[in-house]
Amino acid sequence: MSWTSSVPPPPGAAYGYSQSAYPSQLPYFPPSPVSGSLPVALDTSSPSPQHPHLGLTADANRTLQLATTAFTPVPVRTGGFGQPFAQPPHPNLYAAPANPPQTVNAASAPGSTQHQHPQSEQKIDWPDSVRSYVQRSFETKNLIPGVSREEMQTKLKETISHARDSGIMYTTDWDNMPLPQVLVQSERLQALTGFGRIGGVADAMERAQSQPTSKKRKSSDLSESNPMTPGRSLKGPSLQDRISQPSSDQSSGMDAPLSAKSKFQKQAEKRQRRFDGGYKSTYRSPSPPPSTGPVVGTCTDLEKRYLRLTSAPKASMVRPEHVLHQTLDLLKKKWRKESNYNYICDQFKSLRQDLTVQRIRNDFTVSVYEIHARIALEKGDLGEYNQCQTQLRALYAMGLKGNPVEFKAYRILYFIHTANRTALNDAIADLTTADKEERAIKHALNVRSALALGNYHRFFQLYLDVPNMGAYLMDMFVKRERLAALANMCKAYKPDLKLRYITEELAFESDAEAAQFIIDQNGQELLQEREDSIIFLAGNAKFLFETARSEAFRRVDLKGQI
Amino acid sequence: MDALIKEFRAAYAAERGNDLAKTLTPDLTESPDRLLAIWNSGGPQSIKDDLKFLFFRDKSAQLRMSREEGEGWQEIYFTYWKALGEILAVEGRRKDGAKSSWTKVYEAWKEFTSQIIRGYTNHDFENWTIPCLYVAGRYMRLYAIRADAERSANGGADDAVTNFQDDFDPETEKHKSLEDCARQLNRIFNTCLSDRAPLAESRKWGIYYAINLLFKTYFKLNSASLSKNVLKVLSAGRGDMPDFDSFPKSQRVTFKYYEGVLAFLEENYVEAEKHLTLAWQMCHRDATRNLELILTYLIPCHLLTTHTLPSAKLLEPFPRLQKLFLKLAVAIKEGDLRAFDQALTDGEDEFVKRRIYLTLERGRDIALRNLLRKVFLAGGFAEAKEGEAPVRRTRVPVAEFSAAMKLSGGEELDADEVECLLANMIYKNLMKGYIAHERGIVVLSKNGAFPGTGV
Repeated sequence: MSWTSSVPPPPGAAYGYSQSAYPSQLPYFPPSPVSGSLPVALDTSSPSPQHPHLGLTADANRTLQLATTAFTPVPVRTGGFGQPFAQPPHPNLYAAPANPPQTVNAASAPGSTQHQHPQSEQKIDWPDSVRSYVQRSFETKNLIPGVSREEMQTKLKETISHARDSGIMYTTDWDNMPLPQVLVQSERLQALTGFGRIGGVADAMERAQSQPTSKKRKSSDLSESNPMTPGRSLKGPSLQDRISQPSSDQSSGMDAPLSAKSKFQKQAEKRQRRFDGGYKSTYRSPSPPPSTGPVVGTCTDLEKRYLRLTSAPKASMVRPEHVLHQTLDLLKKKWRKESNYNYICDQFKSLRQDLTVQRIRNDFTVSVYEIHARIALEKGDLGEYNQCQTQLRALYAMGLKGNPVEFKAYRILYFIHTANRTALNDAIADLTTADKEERAIKHALNVRSALALGNYHRFFQLYLDVPNMGAYLMDMFVKRERLAALANMCKAYKPDLKLRYITEELAFESDAEAAQFIIDQNGQELLQEREDSIIFLAGNAKFLFETARSEAFRRVDLKGQI
Repeated sequence: MDALIKEFRAAYAAERGNDLAKTLTPDLTESPDRLLAIWNSGGPQSIKDDLKFLFFRDKSAQLRMSREEGEGWQEIYFTYWKALGEILAVEGRRKDGAKSSWTKVYEAWKEFTSQIIRGYTNHDFENWTIPCLYVAGRYMRLYAIRADAERSANGGADDAVTNFQDDFDPETEKHKSLEDCARQLNRIFNTCLSDRAPLAESRKWGIYYAINLLFKTYFKLNSASLSKNVLKVLSAGRGDMPDFDSFPKSQRVTFKYYEGVLAFLEENYVEAEKHLTLAWQMCHRDATRNLELILTYLIPCHLLTTHTLPSAKLLEPFPRLQKLFLKLAVAIKEGDLRAFDQALTDGEDEFVKRRIYLTLERGRDIALRNLLRKVFLAGGFAEAKEGEAPVRRTRVPVAEFSAAMKLSGGEELDADEVECLLANMIYKNLMKGYIAHERGIVVLSKNGAFPGTGV
């Protein structure tokens, strides 16, 4: 019999998947080089160690190397948000939270980009766009009451010197850059509402030096009494975070002095705090007039927690594209190292958000969505996967580069799983003649037609040989298709079938697995041991599998469907 | 303006809704000069004054109209006048050479539409005036489509982020105006639905027109599934609704067509067939295009529910349908798998566009059934027992079916796949009998091995 060769024994892989059903390569990350514009010193010499990750192959490792090397010299904060890193305590650290000039602070913080000062003495040829930016800043009609000329000028200086120092002066879109007074204003607002980030030493220093009078806020008062908590709310756990899920490092700073109070009191105070912030934000600074173009980010933190937007995004909370490139590299590295899906998903969502609000739609956008889609796929997070897929479809339609073939194939398999015929029809309508010749797409289409025609034989053969990561998707519906096939067989075959035949036809890994599957459906009586083999009494099954089949098809998970 | 309001008065006095609606048409093809004259009859202020005079102070008019209602109409004609300005401008008909865009036209017409809806909710309009709603809704949809087309032709003006979504929504960007239009149409629908007046004076008489417009829009937006909500609301309120048969036939045909297509998309072919058949029967015989559309879905329905194919005579008046279905029908009838596959591939683009591909594909089962039936017939008769009628040979080796499939389909299938396909035939009740796997034969039923085919 040929069955032994076509059905290999379970490889004992961590995920319990048949090797033959899985691709030998999981191309999470396209082997595209990291953006060359990064001013970070590249350490190309150190190869990364082999990581014992499923499907980590030579190809993937190569990209891992790229990911690692692109970012070596920077001490990265690990372990999420608000983690303390080396930072000397400053007595006035929390005294004056109003008006932290973040743009510059964040850039010079030790955690992010420490490399950019050597050329600052050079003579600069100011581009016209910068000149006109300066001009606009001083125009009377652009002045904002409440922001003094000095403040504005300081901010202007900071902004421009930051742009010069970090080498983005010629790439920054000055025409759409918020004016310094707007920046000052929005920073005040952030400080008030608790959106402020404290980027590091420089940040803290500036914070202490800038405005002596503070708009009072409970958390700053509290922290004054406890100035020695270095890591608290380093870079932004947002207001909401702090209210809903205080993490350990926050509790040291914010909740500790309150520990004597009742839970209720604490909540009441938090509520009050939230109210204060919310109230002031609307009262003190009516949101800046909507600018003509999309926001251009100035935030340089690599990591950012995802928060659903409820108002127009602020430039200081949004990372510009060159920072996002670094973020992506960092995330790739972290995913390989830690495989913490919750963290990664959260980060990718904020990354996507930053891209969206800045309306960045280019090949980089495609790669972000592709990588997130693959990770979500591996983790079975179909909701996220589907969001990415929808975006990718539109991005490919714009003619951007990426892996359209791979994802068009996934798309077909996905809609097979969700039994969404309308969408499936659309997915087919999207295909070009050339697409239909591609192996992955051909495979997906064959899967589809095999199922449409009830050809389970062909379906399970296709299941054993799936390109790319399609097997993760096929796994989602293989059980119900097995039930369907068994329902079919039980009606058509009499009196019995060898169990081995079932094993082969339905691509089980072993007779034992097939038997278990039948027993799980309460079909133990249908199995009978004969002299040389186990027999499946197909003719006696009646409606056992039929019922299970219709049950399985009714419960198609439509999570994340748009 | 004078002339227009005179027409209005005449229609109003006679309570003729259609005539009334005619005074609000924006259609430039019919009488461009008339509309131009209306637009040129004054500036905003003078038009406002004129309308005030015509509705409230003109002694020559003898309309019994409450002040409330008069105000409603006055506003409507004012917004109508404004919309006309944009329409004439976008068509380049204005004497002052003003330019406009379809987006502006859409916005202006939307305001006009809102004003009409307000007429019913705030100004006590009576139900015989509903044709005004029809005009408003109909043109609003057209303008929305043009506005979207115009925007995408201009490379899609990226206006400021108005929603705070994490991902951009490609569909929304493509159909911004039409999506907005769908919301407005929904308002019209609800205006009709929510009227609690007795049936004789109810706006419920407008409901099917509104629904049909909504369906049309949802289909265009590629979100036909939203139509289901409308159907749900409708069936929930069916008790308070006028009898379906007392609505105009044109509205009934359209509604039944959409109801049928919606069921079709949900693979509820029995239901779909019911609705489409009704539409088919009611449809005017000269409405070729509509008949063609109905058949496009009715034919695949029949193929799956009753395994019947369209006759050449049925298709005769519809060359487009002939092209779509004829080859496929012949292949199914002959049991010619290769021809079937070829016809399906040839028509794929069109089938996919019409959303019938996945349904037609299942016709292969019928083609296969016909092929297997041929094998069975070719098998001849078993030796008859004495005195009894001869019985067909009911034990057919799998190998024979296998050979037939290879001949007909042009590709070699291994025995397991052939058995799988045979099992399918049995499972779907296209063939009666069972497979004895160990012996490699199929045992067919002695009476009616292929149900419904006479053997």
